[in-house]
Amino acid sequence: MIEARGLTKRYGATAAVDDLSFTIRPGMVTGFLGPNGAGKTTTMRMILGLDYPTAGMVTVNGKPYAKLASPMREVGALLDARAVHGGRSARNHLLCLARTNHISRRRVDAVLDLVGLANVAGKRSRGFSLGMSQRLGIAAALLGDPEILIFDEPVNGLDPEGIVWIRTLMRSLAAEGRTVFVSSHLISEMENTADHLIVVGRGRLLADSGMAEFIAGSSGQVVLARTPQPDALGRALNAAGATTSTGEPGIVQVRGLTEDVVADIAFANGIRLNHLAPARVSLEQAFMELTADSVDYHGQSPVDTQPAHNGSEA
Amino acid sequence: MTTTIGRVRPDTQPTARLRTDILGTLASEFVKIRSVRATYWTLIILIVASIGSGATYCAVEAHQWPHLTPQDHANFDPTQASVLGVALLGQFVIAVLGAQTITAEYSTGMMRTSLTVMPRRTVLYGAKAAVLAAVTLIVALSTSFASFVLGQALLAGRHAGATLSQPHVLRSVIVTAGYVAVCGVAAFGLGAILRHTAAAVAAVFVLFELIQRLAEALPHNLYTSMEKWLPGGATVGAITATTPDSQNPQLFSAWGELAVLGAYAVILVVVGAVLFRRRDA
Ligand SMILES: Nc1ncnc2c1ncn2[C@@H]1O[C@H](COP(=O)(O)OP(=O)(O)O)[C@@H](O)[C@H]1O
Ligand SMILES: [Mg+2]
Repeated sequence: MIEARGLTKRYGATAAVDDLSFTIRPGMVTGFLGPNGAGKTTTMRMILGLDYPTAGMVTVNGKPYAKLASPMREVGALLDARAVHGGRSARNHLLCLARTNHISRRRVDAVLDLVGLANVAGKRSRGFSLGMSQRLGIAAALLGDPEILIFDEPVNGLDPEGIVWIRTLMRSLAAEGRTVFVSSHLISEMENTADHLIVVGRGRLLADSGMAEFIAGSSGQVVLARTPQPDALGRALNAAGATTSTGEPGIVQVRGLTEDVVADIAFANGIRLNHLAPARVSLEQAFMELTADSVDYHGQSPVDTQPAHNGSEA
Repeated sequence: MTTTIGRVRPDTQPTARLRTDILGTLASEFVKIRSVRATYWTLIILIVASIGSGATYCAVEAHQWPHLTPQDHANFDPTQASVLGVALLGQFVIAVLGAQTITAEYSTGMMRTSLTVMPRRTVLYGAKAAVLAAVTLIVALSTSFASFVLGQALLAGRHAGATLSQPHVLRSVIVTAGYVAVCGVAAFGLGAILRHTAAAVAAVFVLFELIQRLAEALPHNLYTSMEKWLPGGATVGAITATTPDSQNPQLFSAWGELAVLGAYAVILVVVGAVLFRRRDA
């Protein structure tokens, strides 16, 4: 159980984390989602007592992190897989961590086995690929067999095999009743992994809800209509109060109206419809809408390239 | 999964927990220092350079011995000749090791991992300093004794060598090693303050050489009276010698000068500790 209350971190004038309050519960994977620079890493560093909050507080199992009796047995964290001394072998790296919490050498070998690094245990980690470094970081997090696991963007830069491995691992850790808190800037990574989502943008809490509610509550139903007269249909639907956008040529996306009403309006205006169907809002879209105002750097993405209209086509 | 983790239960009593933390972290820091090659390279350079320079000095003296005046013979301090290199070269070599003990954790990012597994910052910092001090003291003592033995062997042919039973000879060998270890600890403190290897080593140089060089520009009387309080530089003479300094009798004895340097090291380590506790990692 991780609890943040009014957690705030300022760097000069800008607030990296701004009055965040949330509770992360055991037995599930909680996704921590937000665009780059939203304050996810900073929040995790404050949970671990690495950075001090400017205001507010965060506790782990009811205590500040630094007060945990045997931190490795309660929390395992992977913030930056490359943050190891490259001159040290994988086994010695884990051993020096294990010693602080009186964890046995046998356990070091057991986790090396578990993450599939047993055959390179004596090699210096400088030569490791990102995937291997990530596995070493996860081995370190698992050393104390902790109840709470914190992963910061664990699949960043991994190959598909590594991504699947980490997803499966997170699911199985949660299935064992553990608390898994994992950040990402891509919602697609959460789609099949997280049970619960905490969404942040510019340091502020944007959403804190179950995955299913997040999708359902985001922007309601979308109806897709294929027509030879998209402009006319768009005008007619806008007049009825709907929001429309054009995607592929001849396809109108409609929000705020059910497909029955769309059909009626089309009929009333003498517009031919070739196809009419409800569509599930993609998670991607829900996330984009939620964080649209809080993205620091916009890039080209399929959703960005579809201009939304609220009125007639220019 | 739980079965192989180890038997120690988290202690609930604060004093017992502190003891558990300290013992575990000392063991951890020992694993760290012995598991990177940089440690061995630094210590090998320390040993080879120190013993080599002491041996060279003694060999040259032994070679020139017949051509020196009786006055020169009387002033010659064979102990100092054999261990001076340990102090003069050792201080900078050990400064690299001392600073790196902490700065390498910042440059690699390892510090965040270290603090995640041991969030008691004073314990982590203290264990680092203690392991560094112990390792450097043991290596410096061995080097100092080896330099002494080799140097005296080279001087033995001229009957100019010293033995450990002569006055202050043992002191000189031990204090020289202590000086090197204290330099390492001072560099560690500077490393904690500056968090950057090159900056910390440069700061050691400023502290141990530059300040003294600049002070030499002061009026002679003023300089002679304050020299005993300056770290490094001229006090290395007093630290390695078996006789009082001939040029500046106001200098403290070897132990006194070591204590002065120790005080500087303590200040640096304490300032480093305060910052280490207070700053974001
Ligand atoms: N040490 C720091 N000094 C100044 N600004 C920082 C520091 N760390 C993070 N920031 C800023 O805080 C914001 C949040 O960063 P971060 O927590 O890394 O975001 P995320 O992990 O969500 O990408 C960013 O704007 C970043 O530039
Ligand atoms: Mg981040």
